[in-house]
Amino acid sequence: MDKTMKNKKENIRRPGTRRLVQLYAALLYNANLKGFIDGHIYTGSLKAVCVPGFNCYSCPGAVASCPLGSLQNALNAAGHTAPWYVLGILALFGVILGRTICGWICPLGLIQELLHRVPTPKIRKSHITRKLSYLKYVFLMVFVIAIPLVYGVGKGLILPGFCKYICPAGTLEGAVGLLQNPANATSFYQLGALFTNKWVIMAVIGLACVFCYRSFCRFICPLGAIYGFFNRFALTGVKVNPDRCNGCGLCVMKCGMDVKHVGDHECISCGKCIDTCAQGAISLKCGKITLKGPETGKNADPEPEIRKRKKAGRVAWGIAMAVLVFAVAWFNFIEPAMDRASVPTAVVTTEQPAGTETVTGTEAPAEAETAAPETENAAEGKTGPAATDAPVGTEVGNLLPDFSTDLLSGETFRLSDYRGRVVIINFWGTTCAPCVEELPYYEQLKTAYPDVEILAIHNRAGAKKAKDFLADKGWDHLDFALDSKEKGLLPLLNAADAMPQTIIVNRQGIVTYNAQAPLTYEKLEALYRKANEYRQIAMPLDINGETVNETAEEADAEGQGNHAWEYADTGKKTGNSPEAYIMHVADQDGNPVEGVAVSFCLDTACTLRKSDEDGLITFTGTPDAYHVTIVDAPDGYSWDGDFEMYTDREYGEWVLRVRKEK
Amino acid sequence: MTRTKLFLIVQAVLCTVIAVLLAAGALSLYLDGAAKQAEGDLFYYMFTRERAGARLLPVLPLLFCALGLTVAGVILGIKDENAEKPARDEKLLRDLGSIRERAVHQQADQKTRILRTAVLVIALILIVIGMLNGGLEDVLAKGAAICTECVGLG
Repeated sequence: MDKTMKNKKENIRRPGTRRLVQLYAALLYNANLKGFIDGHIYTGSLKAVCVPGFNCYSCPGAVASCPLGSLQNALNAAGHTAPWYVLGILALFGVILGRTICGWICPLGLIQELLHRVPTPKIRKSHITRKLSYLKYVFLMVFVIAIPLVYGVGKGLILPGFCKYICPAGTLEGAVGLLQNPANATSFYQLGALFTNKWVIMAVIGLACVFCYRSFCRFICPLGAIYGFFNRFALTGVKVNPDRCNGCGLCVMKCGMDVKHVGDHECISCGKCIDTCAQGAISLKCGKITLKGPETGKNADPEPEIRKRKKAGRVAWGIAMAVLVFAVAWFNFIEPAMDRASVPTAVVTTEQPAGTETVTGTEAPAEAETAAPETENAAEGKTGPAATDAPVGTEVGNLLPDFSTDLLSGETFRLSDYRGRVVIINFWGTTCAPCVEELPYYEQLKTAYPDVEILAIHNRAGAKKAKDFLADKGWDHLDFALDSKEKGLLPLLNAADAMPQTIIVNRQGIVTYNAQAPLTYEKLEALYRKANEYRQIAMPLDINGETVNETAEEADAEGQGNHAWEYADTGKKTGNSPEAYIMHVADQDGNPVEGVAVSFCLDTACTLRKSDEDGLITFTGTPDAYHVTIVDAPDGYSWDGDFEMYTDREYGEWVLRVRKEK
Repeated sequence: MTRTKLFLIVQAVLCTVIAVLLAAGALSLYLDGAAKQAEGDLFYYMFTRERAGARLLPVLPLLFCALGLTVAGVILGIKDENAEKPARDEKLLRDLGSIRERAVHQQADQKTRILRTAVLVIALILIVIGMLNGGLEDVLAKGAAICTECVGLG
């Protein structure tokens, strides 16, 4: 019994120094712990620096960038900017640490080793695994170098091949890390073939790591392949003393990696061979300093040198822990990189109704889309803005807060200026392939539907790239703006860190769509039509009796009739209109109706007009987006209380319909 | 068959089943969604929290089971003893002949030190040049925003 207990104690070993260092590195790389809580990634300036190990920069906790992702991005952009910075960083890490990085400070390495601790039958290394170890050079050449170069330089497209198609760190830390947070619930909606592919790859790699030691590291990891080139002359690494080595080969045979000899390009300097070598010929060194070796082990003589070394070790750990505590405190409490609570309220001009229940989802609920502004009759002395009762916010169904921003064209965009028109706000970046691919769709939409207003906001960083990118595109129909920390449109509009993100606002200023997902033209057009729906449901009617359009039955057959006959028709007639807004009020048979009261409202006041004996209302207000509602009708006539429409900034003629009771 | 071996096999089967279920769950959601989209529903979402949760739910008991067995295995010291033994692949052994010579060659001689210093200097120069030509800004721009496609979201 005692023996069993002793065995149990022996089995539960204290984690070794290497495991502690691995944990430490994983924590330090992901010190932005609040990112896991609020679902946002860290966006501070430290993201300009790469960590040595494999750690996805889209992980909510990541405080710095992934070297491999940065390399692909740099190669993608090699057509106009040489990737010197990332190459220099990789060379610096390589020459100082080599593949010691893989063995000691790579979070993915830690995950693989923990998976391998699951007690199952293990696949031992062999000449087959050694051959497979060369596969990672293929991954490096094809997915990290060739694909980004070919697509980036050759076709001008952004395609980080390894990140997109393979990287399990991106899936686990980036995708799953973001999706696990309810704040990113809408991110689920964009998952499709790509995610399925990467999820399956992650499951396969995870399973492989259970059975086969560091499968990803040995067979796939391109970062390990890069650092492997430096291993032979790296400052830090496992070194063999040839005076003590007897060439028994036990070190190689017991090593979990596919090394041919200690310290070669496959060696991750884990130090297992140091304990294996009976000759005491192997040690882990950084320059002339021995980090681990026979002279630092348990059997070493208790000389003052050893005590000194232990003392130095404790001091080093003390400093390291202080750095970690500082990093956690800094990134979670001090760093002001992306303070989403400090929304610049100065630009919010929309009236703030009392907070009501927030509508969630990606499609606007019917009541939000058709919520009629409670416009009061100016004639009765009640004036006021056409406010909806929707809460101000960025969720679907919310009234989007007003904001203004300077456009690249030099003009100023103010959301409230476009009230009465559908507004599409797109967050994009030159480093985001789907963003760049979908921008032409917005241009196409604007060409097909000139009434829509499209604002494309580029991320605060990379402004110069954005301008260069747009220079030769000729997208004249779109309004482009750059976000900045000072203007803070991203936090104001609660734009996620994920791109592309699109917010669609209907004519009332209500958000009808807000999601982080690339859109096809078909989807974009469908979303626009939905936002513009109450205008679409109105049947176009001729004004001069020259054209007969749909009958009520035809409209009903198209599913529009419920609205078409009860709402007034808002089909606009442009052309030879005088400088006035002209409304032709008619019943369902086309007969003019006298005495119908119609209000024309701006944010500040409403003006009431009544139709004359010809059913004509002529309103000569200054050109603006007036919110038009029917306020009253003579006895024997009825109208839909939900009817509303907005005029354009150009004068024109419309037909308003009321129902004659029969 | 020893109890250790049985334990290891059970655990192996459990792990495999978990991985297969995880992969199959995602695959079935995708195939269902693809079929719906093919029918013309542009805005049918293949994955939602609820659907993903429903697929993950059957996996959770297995996952906890595997986790419990792993903890038990670690406490009881159950492991594949063969994994700890030196590799015995003959083709691997062939390469061991010159291991000592390689160790001699690997010694940090003058050439290695020069090469190391040269690469270090080049790396620093590259970093400085890169910072001047906007490389720093590029990395920041990429790292400060999630590219949904890059992490596999879509």
